[in-house]
Amino acid sequence: MAHLCLFSLLVLSLVLETQALTPTHHLTTTDVARLQAVLSQPFTDLKSAYYSVVGLSKLGIFVADADETCRFINSNLDPSSVESLFYAAEASQALSGCEIPVTNDTRDLLLATVSEDSTASQIHQSVSALSALGLPLASQEVVSALKARISKEDNVLAIILALQTASRLSQQAELGEILEEIEDLAARLDDLGGVYLQFEEGLEATALFVSAAYSLSDHVDMEPPLKEDQVIQLVNSIFSKKSWDSLSEAFSVASAAASLSNNRFHVPVIVSAQGPAAVSHSHPFLQLQVTDVLCQPLSSASVLVESASAVASKSAILSQAPFTLRDGVFELNFMASQPASGYYQFSVAITGDSRFVANHVELKVKVSTRVAINNMDLSVVDKDQSIGPKTTRVEYPTKAKASFMADSHQNFAMTFQLVDETTGVELTPHQTFVRLHNQKTGQEVVFVAEPDSKNLYKFELDTAERKTEFDSISGTYALYLMVGDATLENPILWNVADVVLKFLDEEAPGTIQAKTLYVPKPEIQHLFREPEKKPPTVVSNAFTALVLSPFLLLLILWFKLGANISNFTLSPSTILFHIGHAAMLGLMYVYWTHLNMFQTLKYLAIIGSLTFLAGNRMLAQKAVKRYSNYREYFVYLSDLFLMW
Amino acid sequence: MSNSVFSVISRFVEEYRSSTPNKLKMIDAYLLYILLTGVFQFLYCVLVGTFPFNSFLSGFISCVGSFILAVCLRIQINPQNKRDFLTVSPERAFADFLFAHTVLHLVVVNFVG
Repeated sequence: MAHLCLFSLLVLSLVLETQALTPTHHLTTTDVARLQAVLSQPFTDLKSAYYSVVGLSKLGIFVADADETCRFINSNLDPSSVESLFYAAEASQALSGCEIPVTNDTRDLLLATVSEDSTASQIHQSVSALSALGLPLASQEVVSALKARISKEDNVLAIILALQTASRLSQQAELGEILEEIEDLAARLDDLGGVYLQFEEGLEATALFVSAAYSLSDHVDMEPPLKEDQVIQLVNSIFSKKSWDSLSEAFSVASAAASLSNNRFHVPVIVSAQGPAAVSHSHPFLQLQVTDVLCQPLSSASVLVESASAVASKSAILSQAPFTLRDGVFELNFMASQPASGYYQFSVAITGDSRFVANHVELKVKVSTRVAINNMDLSVVDKDQSIGPKTTRVEYPTKAKASFMADSHQNFAMTFQLVDETTGVELTPHQTFVRLHNQKTGQEVVFVAEPDSKNLYKFELDTAERKTEFDSISGTYALYLMVGDATLENPILWNVADVVLKFLDEEAPGTIQAKTLYVPKPEIQHLFREPEKKPPTVVSNAFTALVLSPFLLLLILWFKLGANISNFTLSPSTILFHIGHAAMLGLMYVYWTHLNMFQTLKYLAIIGSLTFLAGNRMLAQKAVKRYSNYREYFVYLSDLFLMW
Repeated sequence: MSNSVFSVISRFVEEYRSSTPNKLKMIDAYLLYILLTGVFQFLYCVLVGTFPFNSFLSGFISCVGSFILAVCLRIQINPQNKRDFLTVSPERAFADFLFAHTVLHLVVVNFVG
């Protein structure tokens, strides 16, 4: 049971490891040199002197004339300012044999600054100055002051300075709570696309965080709560910028680089191929540079190819093959395994130190080779197969002596083989073209030669079939073979022979104009939609009159039938109804000419409701008048009842 | 043959003239008017062309709709059909006629363009 657990854990860790990030950005030797140059600029004041001296010391470089610098520091020191004392103390500690005179007042000033009322930055400066000058300090007081400041100033920079300060205190002090701030700060980092991890305050804050976190972790000998992927993302963020705006930014990058290359827990490994990751018979060694973030080679590392497999066929070529270290570069003779040409996926592991982070790298390696053309046979075959083909063999790079004739009765054919020069294995490069070039007219036609199942390349030219490509222009064409591929070291352009082609019904346009692709094209005139043909106005008017004419007929008929308005009562509801009804008809006309549905519905609601109320009254009155005969009304009611 | 047809027609006309109440005759005149209007619109469409088609459709539908509503009114008003329309008084029929016409004209005017 325990074995199973262990095994599954191992498998899980392997799986997790293989999916770990590798740094996409790192400092190259030129970048490190540039960083040094920025930090080596002549300093103007104490602050820039501090950055330069301490920054360079982190990169392992010591200032040229230490005495001159020491004198500069002493002359610019202002003993009444904590900041000035901090810069001077730190800078003098980085220089060998530089002393800052310390008075009791200085010491009292520095000790007094350690309190809850000073800012975190001030506490940091005074504690660092005290420790650099070798003066005693009360660590517990500092811790309580820092804790108070952290809760008051909750910003990232203050907490980073608190971490830096804590790394100067005695190990007996209770640094546990401050140590927890590392995790809180790490949670505040912004993950950009899974590649970068940085504070929104910027590069400097991120770099200072890294150096503070590792210096505190080293001081208390506890691993910082940063996962491997997070460390790599931090590396990407900090080292993605290769030129720095200010001295303080350069200083922060130098501190971060120094702490990442030399701490007790995490050392990110940078693996890069020297030159292109390509091998061939002339360059059989695959060379890798394995360094830390400051481009210093890792002495204790041993590099191993865990597996190498071809990309195309996925067959494994190598397994567990070690690299040998030579002159600071790790190399492996890959050609010794006699790989076929193509691309290979390498999985490389760097071991030797448990601190290594991102020590599994995936590389794509190209194996190039030289190609040779074998058995180039040119022949002219009769279409009706009555006469046997005449085959001429041509050797690369010579040209066939005689030119070949092909007209409508004959086909021109070409067969050849492409092989690897050293191994003799057949190759199928990406580009195998046959180019026919008419020297007189400058016309050029390109065909593709295809391999058959036995990897024998064939090309056939049927003049009758292909006359459109040639524009039916007869003449002498120079035949070239073009072979190319990414994995070929020697791409080939070979003038194999001359071919005389004869086409039927030659148009002979004289000279060929180069296809005019980039000439202005004829302008397109936009045709607007033609309005539909309307009938002449006379016809429309005549039919309008015709359609309206039955109304006259209606009036006449009604008059004849004796329609009258004698029953028209002048009650208000009647008048209102008729006005309302007329208004509704008028609204219909206005709707047709001016309004939209929403407005019409609005007006219709108003007029309609008025008309309805008036009409209801009017019709009720009419009904009452009609039912003035009670008997009829009674009959009506009884019928209604019967219906139920 | 034509003789009997002619006599049927003349009989029908005579019956119509005598027994149909005036109210119904007026509605019949209105029906004839609507019919003729519709026929003339259709004639135009056949002779001259369907442009603009939406106007033709709306006008034609208006005629058809009005005809139907008038026929409904005629049926409901006819005193011989009183048994079938006990809950519908002639006034109610007329009010329905007006309301339906409002809706019909709203649609027709929307579509005529």
